[in-house]
Amino acid sequence: MSDNSNFDAIIIGGGHNGLVCANILARKNKRVLICEARKECGGMVNNEITNYVPPVTTAVSSSLGGMQVNYLPKTTIALSETGQHIRLVGNQHIDHKSISTFSSQDADRFNDFHEKMSKFSKTLGSFMMASPPRIMNNSFSDYFKLFKLGLNVRLLGKKNFNEFARMIGLNIADELEDNFENTLLQGLIAHDSVIGSNLGPRSPGSLINLLYRMAIHNNSLFGGIFQIEGGNDQFTEHLIEKCKSNNVEIKTSASVKNCIVEDDRAVGVELNNGDKIYAKKIISNVDPRSTYFSLLGSQNLDTDVKRKIKHHRSKGRVAKLILDLNKLPSFNNCDDIDLDSRMVVAPSIDYIEETFNPSKFDKLSLEPTLEICIKKDSDQNPKLDIQVQYAPYKTNQGWENVKENYIESIIKIISKYAPSINECIEHKKLITPDDIESEYNISGGHWHHGEIQIDQLFMMRPIPGASQYKTHLDGLFMCGAGTHPGGGLTGISGKNAAKAVLDDF
Amino acid sequence: MTQDLRYSALKKTPFHSRTSMASRTNKYYNWNGYTVPTEYSTTELEYTAARNGTSVMDLTPMGKYEITGDHAHRFVDYLVTRDLSEMKDNTVAYIIWCNEDGKVIDDGTIFKFSSTKFMLCCAVKIYNWLNDSAYGFDVSISDVTDTIAALAIQGPTSCSTLKKFGATDLEKLKPFEMREYKIDGFDILISRTGFTGDLGYELWTDPKNAETTWDNIEIAGKELKLRPFGMHALEMTRIEAGFIQTNTDFMAAEDSLRPTRMRSPYEIGMGWLVHLNKNSYFVGKKALKKEKEENTTERCLVGLDIDGDKPAHGSVIYNSKKEDIGIVTAALWSPIMKKNIALASLKRPYGIKIKENIFAEIYHPEELEYRKIWARCKVVKRQFFNPERRNKVPADLYE
Repeated sequence: MSDNSNFDAIIIGGGHNGLVCANILARKNKRVLICEARKECGGMVNNEITNYVPPVTTAVSSSLGGMQVNYLPKTTIALSETGQHIRLVGNQHIDHKSISTFSSQDADRFNDFHEKMSKFSKTLGSFMMASPPRIMNNSFSDYFKLFKLGLNVRLLGKKNFNEFARMIGLNIADELEDNFENTLLQGLIAHDSVIGSNLGPRSPGSLINLLYRMAIHNNSLFGGIFQIEGGNDQFTEHLIEKCKSNNVEIKTSASVKNCIVEDDRAVGVELNNGDKIYAKKIISNVDPRSTYFSLLGSQNLDTDVKRKIKHHRSKGRVAKLILDLNKLPSFNNCDDIDLDSRMVVAPSIDYIEETFNPSKFDKLSLEPTLEICIKKDSDQNPKLDIQVQYAPYKTNQGWENVKENYIESIIKIISKYAPSINECIEHKKLITPDDIESEYNISGGHWHHGEIQIDQLFMMRPIPGASQYKTHLDGLFMCGAGTHPGGGLTGISGKNAAKAVLDDF
Repeated sequence: MTQDLRYSALKKTPFHSRTSMASRTNKYYNWNGYTVPTEYSTTELEYTAARNGTSVMDLTPMGKYEITGDHAHRFVDYLVTRDLSEMKDNTVAYIIWCNEDGKVIDDGTIFKFSSTKFMLCCAVKIYNWLNDSAYGFDVSISDVTDTIAALAIQGPTSCSTLKKFGATDLEKLKPFEMREYKIDGFDILISRTGFTGDLGYELWTDPKNAETTWDNIEIAGKELKLRPFGMHALEMTRIEAGFIQTNTDFMAAEDSLRPTRMRSPYEIGMGWLVHLNKNSYFVGKKALKKEKEENTTERCLVGLDIDGDKPAHGSVIYNSKKEDIGIVTAALWSPIMKKNIALASLKRPYGIKIKENIFAEIYHPEELEYRKIWARCKVVKRQFFNPERRNKVPADLYE
C-alpha cells in the first residue's frame, strides 16, 4: 500500500494555502506533489478576482523562510453622491481629522469604537492563528487551548468581558447606530462587516464577521488593506518560485477525480485521465463540500457526516464586474490619490440591507453595494475591478438571462459618482459566484469556502469532528480556506495544516 | 386508504373492519399513527394459538420503505452493518443499522426483489435517516407503509392454513425466502419470516385486497386453530424467541436523550450482524472497528433463566456482593418452556466471563402489597425457544 508511495504528500489544489502548505512540508524534507486542476496555480489569488490582500503574518512568512513581496497600503474611501466622501487610512489621528469634518462627535466615538474592536479582535486573533482545539478529543492540550481563550477574554476585565459577551452574537447595524450619526460612515463600516458573507448588517452575528476581518487586517478597521507591488499575482508567483527552490513538484491541468481509499485510509489520488498517484498523506485544498462528496465520496461517509456537510453554508454572494476602459473617467470630487484608493459604494446601513433582502430569495438587487478598485492591465490601460456584494449564487431567472441587465444597473450606480463612465467602457465582464464555482472548482463559489459565522468557526470549522485539518478519513487532510481560521488570503490554514500533517508522519 | 381525519386522530389499517369485529376487549394502541389491537380476547389464548395453531396479526403499521434505483444494492449494503453483497434475489435478511458512533438505530428486515429494488421493514419510522443516508447514491426512497397491507401468519399450522388459502407449494419455501403469488386476482407476496421464533410467514398485498385476504385466511384456518393475535401475545412469543425490541431492550440511538444510553451492536448481542471485513464502507464502520480493536464494549444483552415462577419485570440484577450490575429489559413466565425467563442488559464482564452468582430482585405484586423475592439467575442463550419445525423444509403440514 504505502510501499509504492511515490510521494510523501499530495496536495490537491494549488491555491495559496496549498502552496504555503507544500513549501512548509518540503522545507521539512518531504517529497510533495501539487495537483492543480487549472492551467495555473494560485486559485483565486490573481489579478482578476483579488482586489486587496491582508498582510501575511510573521508566523506564516517565517515558516516559509521569508516572503519577498512588497505590500502597498491602501486608503479606503466611502463615496458620497454629494461629493463629501470619507477617506480613512487606518491612522488614528488622520482618521479622526477626516471624520471630524462631518461630525466631531463621530470622530471621537470612532476612536473609542476602534480601540474596543481592536482589543477584541486581538483576543480573538490570538486564538485564530493556532490550530483550533478539538472538543471531541478529550486531550489536555485541547482543553488548555479552550481555557486560554476563555482566560484571554476574562483578562479583558469585567467591563470588557461583559461587552465582549454582548457583542459576540450582535448585528453590526445596532452597534453602529448606537455609536455614529453619519450614515455614510455607518454604511462604510457595515459594508466591511458583511463583505463576502451571507449576512445583512441587521443579521445577528454580522459583528463577529468584522472582528474576524480585523483580526487578519492588523487588528485595524481600515489599516491592514494592501495591494502587492506588481499585481496581486506576485504573491502566487513568489510562492511558486519557492516551491521550485524547495523541489515541490507541480502538476497543472491535473484534475483529481477522487481519493484512492484502501483499508479505510487515503493512500493516493486518481486523476481524471486515469493516472493513479500514491502518497503517504493526501491534503485537500479544495472546499469542504467537494473534499467530502467528491474526493472522499459519499459512499465512504457516515450519514451524520453527510448531514453536517450538507448543512455547511458555502454559497457565495459576491460577483466581480471588470470594466476595461479606454480612459479613466473622472470621479466627482476625487483627486489622483483618491483614484488609487479602495472606493466603497455603501451610502447607508439601510441601503445595504435593501440590497441584501432580495438575495435571500435568489433575486437580484439592482442597487448593489460595491467595492471599486482601479487597476491597469498589461497594456497600461485602466480598468475598474468591482466587487459586487449580494449577487446570489444562482438567480431565479438564471444568470444568463439577467447578466446584461445586472451589469447595466451596476454601471448606472457608478455613473452617479463618475458621470462619464459610459463613454469610457471598452469591454465588460461579469463573474458570478456561479462562474467562480465552475472556473475555480469551488462549490458554491464562496470566497472563504464557507461562511465565516460563529457556528462555522474555530473547532466547528468546517464541521464538528473535522477540525484540526483532519477529515473523517485517515490520511486525508484539509488545508483550504474551509478550515480554521478560514479565508482572507492569510495562508494560515495552509501553515497550520502543514503542522498537523507533519505531526502525523 | 383515504379517510377523513376530523373523526380520528389515528389512522385505521385496511384490516380495521375485520380486526375490530374480532376484538372482544376493545383494547387498542397507537403504532406509528395507526390504531391496532393489543389484545383480541385474552393474551394467553392468543399466545396458545401462536404456539399450537395459527395466529394472525395486522402488521400494516410497520415502517415499510421501497428502495429503488441503480445503486439500490450498493446503498443497502452501505446502510447496514451486515455484509449483503452476496444477497440473492427473492430473499430476506435480518439487519441492524447504526449511526456514526456505531450505536444501533433500529433493527429490521430487508427484502431483495432484484439488485435495483429492495424493501426495508422496521418497527419505527426512519424515512429521514434513509433519505439522508442515500445522498450521493442513485436511489430513490419511498415510504410505502400506507400502500402495502401486511399480515403475520405464525404458528405450527400456518403453512397448512396458507396452502388452503391458495399458496401452492408454500411448504418448499425456505426460511428467509419469499415468493410472489397471484390469489383471487391480486398479487400477494409471502415471505417465510416472523417475530415469534416459530414456523411462520408474512404476507404483503394491496390494501384493496386486505379484507378479502383476511376473510379467506380465516376460512382456510378454521380447522387449524386459527386466531387473531395482538401485540401482547407477540411480546410473549418474541421474548421466548430471544428477539430484541427497539426502545425496550435498548434505546434507539436517534431517540435516546442521554449519550450513555446508546448501545453498540456488540452490547445487544448483535455482533454477529457486524461484518467489519466487508469490502465497502458502511455507516458506523469506523466507530465499530475502533470499539472492536480497543475492546471498549461495556455491556451485553443476555438471556436469564430465573429461579421461581414470578416474572422479573424491570428487575435490577445484582452480583453476590449486592452490587448493581444491570437491569431486566423484558421478562415472562414462559408457558411452553415452563420456565421463568428474561432478557437482561448487564455490565461486562457479567454475563460474558462471570455467569455465576447473579441475582434478580423481583418485586411481585400481590393484592396491593409487594413481595420481594431474591432469585438466583442462570445466564443462558437468549434464544430460549427454537423448535425444529421453525426451520424445517418442507414445512410441516396438517389437515
